[in-house]
Amino acid sequence: MILLVNAVEFDGVAKVFRPGLFETPAPALTEVDLGIPEGEIVGLLGPNGSGKTTLLKIILGLLVPTTGICRVFGRPSNSAEGRPDVGYLPEAPEFYAFLTGTELVRFFAGLSGLAGSTQEDRVRTAIGRVGMESAADRRIGTYSRGMKERIGLAQALVAEPKLVILDEPTANLDPEGAMKFASVIRDIHARGGTVLLSTHQLDQIEYLCTWVVLLSRGRVVSSGPVEEFIQRCSEPALVVESLDEAHRSDLRCWLAARGALLRVARSNRLERAYCAATDCAAPEEGRSH
Amino acid sequence: MSGAVPSAGRLAAIAVNTFREAVRQRFFVIVSLATVSFGLAAWWLRDCGVVACREKFLLDAGFGALAFFGAIVAIVATAGSFFGEIERRTVLAVLSRPVRRKEFVLGKLGGILGLLFVFCGMGTALLVGLLWCSRTLPEEQLPGAMLAGERVSLPAVALCGLVQWLRCSVLAALALAVSAYSRSSLLAVVASFAALVVCSLRSFAWDAFASAGHGLAGGAARVLGACVPDFDLYEVADAVANGGAVSPGYLSGIALYSTIYVGMFAAIAACFFWHREL
Repeated sequence: MILLVNAVEFDGVAKVFRPGLFETPAPALTEVDLGIPEGEIVGLLGPNGSGKTTLLKIILGLLVPTTGICRVFGRPSNSAEGRPDVGYLPEAPEFYAFLTGTELVRFFAGLSGLAGSTQEDRVRTAIGRVGMESAADRRIGTYSRGMKERIGLAQALVAEPKLVILDEPTANLDPEGAMKFASVIRDIHARGGTVLLSTHQLDQIEYLCTWVVLLSRGRVVSSGPVEEFIQRCSEPALVVESLDEAHRSDLRCWLAARGALLRVARSNRLERAYCAATDCAAPEEGRSH
Repeated sequence: MSGAVPSAGRLAAIAVNTFREAVRQRFFVIVSLATVSFGLAAWWLRDCGVVACREKFLLDAGFGALAFFGAIVAIVATAGSFFGEIERRTVLAVLSRPVRRKEFVLGKLGGILGLLFVFCGMGTALLVGLLWCSRTLPEEQLPGAMLAGERVSLPAVALCGLVQWLRCSVLAALALAVSAYSRSSLLAVVASFAALVVCSLRSFAWDAFASAGHGLAGGAARVLGACVPDFDLYEVADAVANGGAVSPGYLSGIALYSTIYVGMFAAIAACFFWHREL
């Protein structure tokens, strides 16, 4: 029997934003009960406004749940004691333009309590892991967006945390940078670390993640191994790789007569499962019966 | 319980980073140059006929510039540094470390106080230098009427600069408290300047309320008034210009007064920031 130990646990967590005294409260998360197992690469999926960022911020202690509790490695997420084990890369990071890459990573190493030769070793190692050695002594203000993402990953990794949270990390990376990123994530996983990856790139989740959490309208719709999610949410489908416009119309009519569904063929299985689970519309065809 | 005590290492890291960021801002360089230009302009105009005493003129102009530009630096640098962290989202990365929010606030304040120390120190050093140079000029170059006037004590001028730094520190802590509550940097800057006006007029209001008697309104006004620092207490430049000294008693008293207000505003800032959703 495999015993799953959770890196993060949500116990009845709800979050309601109250924008103003006379404005309607906006619920962002509703009754979230969720365990994120240790040692997995977890993909956090969901349409815009589904509560992904709120969920991440609660894990990081940046937001306090309205009800319920979130624990990170058994400790309440809003206590600073639990955070030496967490590394975080925010979405589209800017960082301090006047610092060099090395100075930035050293600053975050200092905040994590590292000092002396240990700090210097970890800083060098983290910069090496993301392949930024050649630009480490340049000011961050001169970096491209992709380089900022990579130095951001270095600061997240410098204290060798047990949980790494990455918010849209590859949105600004070229294919080579994205592959480097993927290899770093796999390396963290190989060392027993947990990675929580929030992204809209479904293909990335399918080839990289071992676990998926799907959010929709503030609720956890699904949580489990990626393969299980694909199996559970996929519908029987006949995939037609290409079809010209005239035949597509005929096919739609033929399927409609049999009460069947026509959806534009998508490139990967996870994308089809995601659409089935979130009831999202296909961009071109929509759903027809 | 060691977890509740702010870590000196983390505070220092945030303070040093804040200082480095602020001191490299174009805004700080421009304001510093403006202060230096003002001092040099006073030096250029020191012998104009409308002033009876060149040293008093230099002191008035120098400390006037220091107070004016010091207030601008204290407010704009504090609000800019605080909202810069929020807009860049670096605050998220910082607070995802084992950094408490109060450590972040105190670190920011530490960095800004360092910046103000450099600014006031630079302005005071310039002023002391100009006063010293004015004394080295050959007497025959000066119009007789303008030689008159008591010589000011240069150590007293340096202490006067220290008092200006204390005043700016209180203002920076106040601006930090306003920033921690405010939703935009513009609002924080405007509200902080409004608070500066209130602090500068506080002694007038205090006197007016004192004459209102000891009723409920008078009592409430006194309680509210006690929450506002009185910036008139920092006005020692006139006394120094007239040959007076900055007494150790005054200096320790004003240092204690400033520490209390800086502590109070820092606590308010930490409280606001604790409740702020990022």
